[in-house]
Amino acid sequence: MKYELVAGLETHIELSTKTKIFCGCTTEFGSEPNTHCCPICTGMPGTLPKLNRAVVNFAIKAGLATHCEIAPVAKMDRKNYVYPDLPKAYQISEFDKPLCQNGYIELESGRRIRITRIHIEEDAGKLVHQRGDTYVDYNRGGVPLIEVVTEPDIRSIDEAREYVEKLQLIMKYIGVSDCKMQEGSLRCDVNVSVRPEGSEKLGTRAEIKNMNSFTFMTKAMQYEFDRQVDLVESGEQVVQETRRFDDATGTTEGMRSKEDAQDYRYFREPDLVSIVTTPEQVEELRGQLPELPDAKYARYVGEYGLPPADASLLVKYRRVAEFFDEAANGLQTPKTVANLILGQIFRRMPTDEEKEACNLLISAGMLRELALLLESGKMKMNLAKSTLDTMLDTGKPVGELVSEGDLAGVDEDALYKICAEMVAANPNAVADYRAGKEKAVKALIGGVMKATKGKADATQAEAILIELIHKA
Amino acid sequence: MSESGVRRMIAKLSRMLSEKQISCVELTKAYLDAIEKENNKLHAYITVTPETALNTARAVDARIAAGETLRPLEGIPMTLKDNLSTAGIETTCASKMLQGYRPIYDATVWKLLREQNAVLLGKTNMDEFAMGSSCETSYFGGSVNPHNTGHVAGGSSGGVASAVAGNLAAYGLGSDTGGSIRQPASFCGIVGLKPTYGAVSRYGLIAYASSLDQIGPITTCVEDAALVFDAIAQYDPMDSTSQGKQSSALPALQNDICGMKIGVPNEYFEGLSDEVTASMNEAMRAYESMGAQIVRFPLAPLKYALPVYYILACAEAASNLGRYDGIRYGYRAENYNTIHEMICKTRSEGFGKEVQRRILLGNYVLSSGYYEAYYRKAQNLRGAIVKGFDEAFASCDVVMAPTVPMTAFPCGRTHSDPTEDYLTDICTVPINIAGLPAVSVPCGFDGKGLPIGMQLIGPRFQEAQVLNAAYAFERETGEKSFQAVKMGVQI
Amino acid sequence: MVTREEIKNIALLSKLYVPEEELDTLTKDMQGIIAFADTIQAADVGDTGFDNINNLSNVFREDVVVPSYDRDLILKNVEGGEDGCFLVRKRG
Repeated sequence: MKYELVAGLETHIELSTKTKIFCGCTTEFGSEPNTHCCPICTGMPGTLPKLNRAVVNFAIKAGLATHCEIAPVAKMDRKNYVYPDLPKAYQISEFDKPLCQNGYIELESGRRIRITRIHIEEDAGKLVHQRGDTYVDYNRGGVPLIEVVTEPDIRSIDEAREYVEKLQLIMKYIGVSDCKMQEGSLRCDVNVSVRPEGSEKLGTRAEIKNMNSFTFMTKAMQYEFDRQVDLVESGEQVVQETRRFDDATGTTEGMRSKEDAQDYRYFREPDLVSIVTTPEQVEELRGQLPELPDAKYARYVGEYGLPPADASLLVKYRRVAEFFDEAANGLQTPKTVANLILGQIFRRMPTDEEKEACNLLISAGMLRELALLLESGKMKMNLAKSTLDTMLDTGKPVGELVSEGDLAGVDEDALYKICAEMVAANPNAVADYRAGKEKAVKALIGGVMKATKGKADATQAEAILIELIHKA
Repeated sequence: MSESGVRRMIAKLSRMLSEKQISCVELTKAYLDAIEKENNKLHAYITVTPETALNTARAVDARIAAGETLRPLEGIPMTLKDNLSTAGIETTCASKMLQGYRPIYDATVWKLLREQNAVLLGKTNMDEFAMGSSCETSYFGGSVNPHNTGHVAGGSSGGVASAVAGNLAAYGLGSDTGGSIRQPASFCGIVGLKPTYGAVSRYGLIAYASSLDQIGPITTCVEDAALVFDAIAQYDPMDSTSQGKQSSALPALQNDICGMKIGVPNEYFEGLSDEVTASMNEAMRAYESMGAQIVRFPLAPLKYALPVYYILACAEAASNLGRYDGIRYGYRAENYNTIHEMICKTRSEGFGKEVQRRILLGNYVLSSGYYEAYYRKAQNLRGAIVKGFDEAFASCDVVMAPTVPMTAFPCGRTHSDPTEDYLTDICTVPINIAGLPAVSVPCGFDGKGLPIGMQLIGPRFQEAQVLNAAYAFERETGEKSFQAVKMGVQI
Repeated sequence: MVTREEIKNIALLSKLYVPEEELDTLTKDMQGIIAFADTIQAADVGDTGFDNINNLSNVFREDVVVPSYDRDLILKNVEGGEDGCFLVRKRG
């Protein structure tokens, strides 16, 4: 029998607010242990939380960007469990009245992965194991998170990956998170079940916790799928449980222990008040959203006529897309700009991180100046490419690198003159060419390039030279 | 109105200081000496802070010498319940769990008083984590009643009440979750104000039940309660539920109460001791003689107030007390194999029996399968009680009720059923459930000379009205309702 | 009526260690307390929509960094912290 994978995802995303969710400590990553702490985020007796307005706004933006409804009234609850990384022994989260509900993300296939809810909550601290002893660092404790929960709509590992990538991209676009998996600012829990292909009934699911890379997620889902199919085939039951992926063995294993009585005893957080959001506030936040990746892609393909693959590549990196938009703004030939970015510029940033950062010595306006010269025919592509390279090396604008004279020098009349001089000065080469040695013209082209300091269009020069040789 | 009929302690001490009849250091030393002498009898203080007190006193004397005008509470020796965080000063909640714990920040109320140069004499005794009505659940042994040391001071703010009634502090701050300010004030024959929920910042108050806890003054007279309330009822950005006061209480104390409608809910007069009933009837007559009107009405939802209180308070407490795991502060068990074992042993050894019972009840009512029947239902009943009081205040200005159905009970009283002790709180808990302001004022004595107290309850943020009604009664009844104890500092 | 097993389970949830010999007394105590809490079952009450006592909403702080505490102060109430961390468990 063939089996189908059914998965739902819970994605925790750290928000890039300046401060923690309930106190003014910085959210900066990678400092000495317990240096971003205060009595509030270490749960000292008597302290009280105060909700960061930016966290609510970021979460609402995340909801709007994924087509969610925004709750007119939301509240916060305590999720009670004792663990050393949770200093209050409860996590302040949202249980039955989350900020955002009923959204979706559309995959390239057109299938929609429904988003059940997005809620805000606080991150826990981190256990540190040293020489067999266990310590805890609360720098991360109280860093704001959103948890994005989907329906079990995912049908393959590829879909899971695409969903997470899209979610990640949207969050980066709207500026609510940097979504760095390697720093743990995006982590996924996957609910996996299997069922015979064609069946409508959902199987029993197992939850695999805390995966912070695509590689792990892929491996874990594959392992879990195989494990569950084996169980079902051999007539055994899949147990509903939480499992951990072990990178070393590439397997998942149950996390249940006797001490782990799973009952979170949620109740209203009495130290915080309700969150009321008016339609006006929602619209104001919607107005602050930038153009989202899907819309951008559609515009690049539809309006600009970019090939889908090129459009995807540009959209994939928010800063690159913004750079492109600014450089191509109002031009007749945005495609030319796209090619320069995907060619000359991408060559200089081979890694994803570099493209992500899009740190260039030139501004988008400078690329635009160059593109305008190309568009007006004043500059040929060859020269444009070499000029762009120099611009990227030096940060100088095109005006400083190519003089009016240089541009005039490759003007067609000027080129004609230089070619005529070249033909006149090299009777031998002309004779060779006429005798059938077509390569002889290359020497003449070389002469022209030298005379124009390499700024002439070689193809154009060749055409003129041949024309002159035939005339002569 | 003769000035002599008015009781005042703080204003009197303040005048003595500014008129240089006594220096602040001398006054402070008088209190410290009295504590040294009498605290072993009363067990009012857990920690005495002579250094802090004398440093402040010297600063106050310097300001007096420089001719500065004293602020209302400046230089007045006072105490804080030991669940109010004081930076660098041990704050134990009368629990083994927090023995030796020194907070690294100040509770907002202490910050406000410290900025006024209030003289902190020390931290006072209480029921462990404010869970109790006798002060006897204190890990350090309970505080006793200055009127009769064979009887309890009440609780949970028993130490503050004992210290103030025993003249070992001019006033103190307690906390009140289900009666913990009013009940010991009543038992010790002094004044205790539980402000409206949200009037006083809870920041730094070690939480028992967050939606019910309020900090308030315990004083020897109504005027002092108004003075202290005015000082501590300030909006605090650190507490999301804080709103501050609607109006200052002190200026309202002179208002005539003629024509004031005083509501008396029938349900409040069931199950009282005869002496308490007699005392209440007399108080009603006193009010009528001042021109106030007594309005009787039923307040049916009160019937469920006590179990509602225990369900909600214990649920919140179970969660609030989860953090005591031995990792960041406080007691930590020594022998263990796993983290889980360390945490369980720490908590079982660090918490007393009553605290453990309340944690268990709290987790029981929140656990899956029981949440709807207990927590959710209690929350809905809370809404009904709130509504009941709102309706009552449509037909009266203040509500009058006994503070406790009985007077202070003998020390060491035990019950086979732990819920019998809970009955002590029957008159006080509805006020916390409804978030209302209420003051307990002395209104007489029983046959053994133990004080009886009554509550005046007002609509939310009407502390001025409540205190005015109490003030009128205090002025009218004078020594019939209040007798100072002959111990401690005699001014 | 709450059983011995349920009390054991709630104790586990509460992270309280109850010695076997105390379990019977505790169960009896808890039965009394829960019976007392059960008196609300007689009340006839619908959804009263109770949320918070003063019906407050939207109390926020702005996203402005406040300097954190000195680490020595954060660790002031513990012993055995190493490398600026709180000790959870010593080896063995």
